[in-house]
Amino acid sequence: MAFSSRYCPSCLLSLPTRIITPFAFRANLASPFLQQARTAAQSSNANKSRSKKDSSKGSTKTTKKKRKTRSHFLQPDLRRVTQFSLVDAMRYLRAAEVGRPPNSAKYDLHIRLRTAKNGAVVRNRLLLPHPVHTDLRIAVICPSDSAHARAAKAAGAHLVGEEEIFDAVKAGRIEFERCICQQDSLAKLGKSGVARILGPRGLMPSAKLGTVVKDVGSAVRGLAGGSEYRERMGVVRMAIGQLGFTPEEMQSNIRVFIEGLKKDIGVLSDRISKDIHEVVLSSTHGPGLSLNGELRGPASPPTKDLSTM
Amino acid sequence: MPSLSSRMRKLHQTLLSIRLGPGALILPKEVKRIHMRFPARMEGGHMGPRKFWRSELVRLKYHNPAVAMTVDRSGMTPDDESTMSIHFAPADAIQTSSSATSGPSPTESTTTTSQTSDHTPADRVETIGMKFRSNSDILQDLMRITNAYPVEATPEDQEQLAALEEQKVRGDRDRVVSSAHKARVKREQQLLEQAKGGLGA
Repeated sequence: MAFSSRYCPSCLLSLPTRIITPFAFRANLASPFLQQARTAAQSSNANKSRSKKDSSKGSTKTTKKKRKTRSHFLQPDLRRVTQFSLVDAMRYLRAAEVGRPPNSAKYDLHIRLRTAKNGAVVRNRLLLPHPVHTDLRIAVICPSDSAHARAAKAAGAHLVGEEEIFDAVKAGRIEFERCICQQDSLAKLGKSGVARILGPRGLMPSAKLGTVVKDVGSAVRGLAGGSEYRERMGVVRMAIGQLGFTPEEMQSNIRVFIEGLKKDIGVLSDRISKDIHEVVLSSTHGPGLSLNGELRGPASPPTKDLSTM
Repeated sequence: MPSLSSRMRKLHQTLLSIRLGPGALILPKEVKRIHMRFPARMEGGHMGPRKFWRSELVRLKYHNPAVAMTVDRSGMTPDDESTMSIHFAPADAIQTSSSATSGPSPTESTTTTSQTSDHTPADRVETIGMKFRSNSDILQDLMRITNAYPVEATPEDQEQLAALEEQKVRGDRDRVVSSAHKARVKREQQLLEQAKGGLGA
């Protein structure tokens, strides 16, 4: 510290002022500071009372200033957002993903909703016309020698059984990404105690999520090409396409997804209002581009070119 | 969540860097495919190819969306040669950039094909050795072999570039002012604390 006399207020003014600051700003800073220093110079007792008063004053000020809590998520003003047609956005994303292995990079869609922060969220599963995940392993819990088991196997389930799946899960071998339970096996599943392991991973079947079903075969078929989505912080995100998709394929996927989402919003209770605010397309390594809802712009390249690796 | 202006600024910066810069070339129509093959690790002179892939190839792909551009980095050791092969179609074959009939798109994954697969009728294949070459060297070679011509910035692009540059200058100036302000406030607080501490002792 480069000041000789501690209580001398004048030294406080001799602060380094190498950079010219606006006058108002300087005056503003100096005045309360000076006052503080003077009271300090009078006596320690005076200082104590002053400091208490000051602090209490300060606290009331902060409580007054406390911002009102916001009940809805902030919405960007879309007039200030640059928006792109689907083909233009895909052209940028294809360029950003050049040379990436096509099975690891994907297109993602982000849908921002106009919604309250609390209350019900949209979540569902749907079957896209052009499936994105083609290597999903599904476990089906039902007696392994029943008709259900045969239907599930035929539909492409990876694991089918009851006790053998429970034992494998308890031993730590979870070799599947989705788990479906046949309705009659639900009691056994409950008793087996795998909920503790599957629950935190989001794999535990429940009727609420539609993973406890009667007809296992069709459920597996729906799941194998289906994708799940849910709203988090006012945004629904989902992988919408593989890198090699043409704009037309992407368009039909996006259309089905948005229609499904609107339907899901419709079945929520009447008191909840949700609306689609912004649709953003991005990819695994690319930027996020807000879509304007059109397929092609005036200067877009032919759609066929964009499926070239 | 970033503010809208900073989000848009960052986006435009990214998009401009995809559109313009070294590698923003338009390839002639007989170029069908560009395939790069180099090791995943860069020791042994493979830094240039990787840089070329990450910067120049992106711009090349943006301006030539119909030309297949693939990168294969699997199963190679640092001693291997890293090469770029440029496939040309015969002059009378289907032209890549004509809108009605673009080149057939390969369906197989780029990583699993260790050989450059011949899905287009390539008339001739030119190869550039990329080992111990910088990305600008590789670009020079590519321009020489293909006779590609560079893309000029449109007036709107130039306007955007100027706006971003201006923003950067303004940001630098404001950064100095605000850091001075912060230092000042901090120093005053320090002094105040010392004054208080001196009384208590």
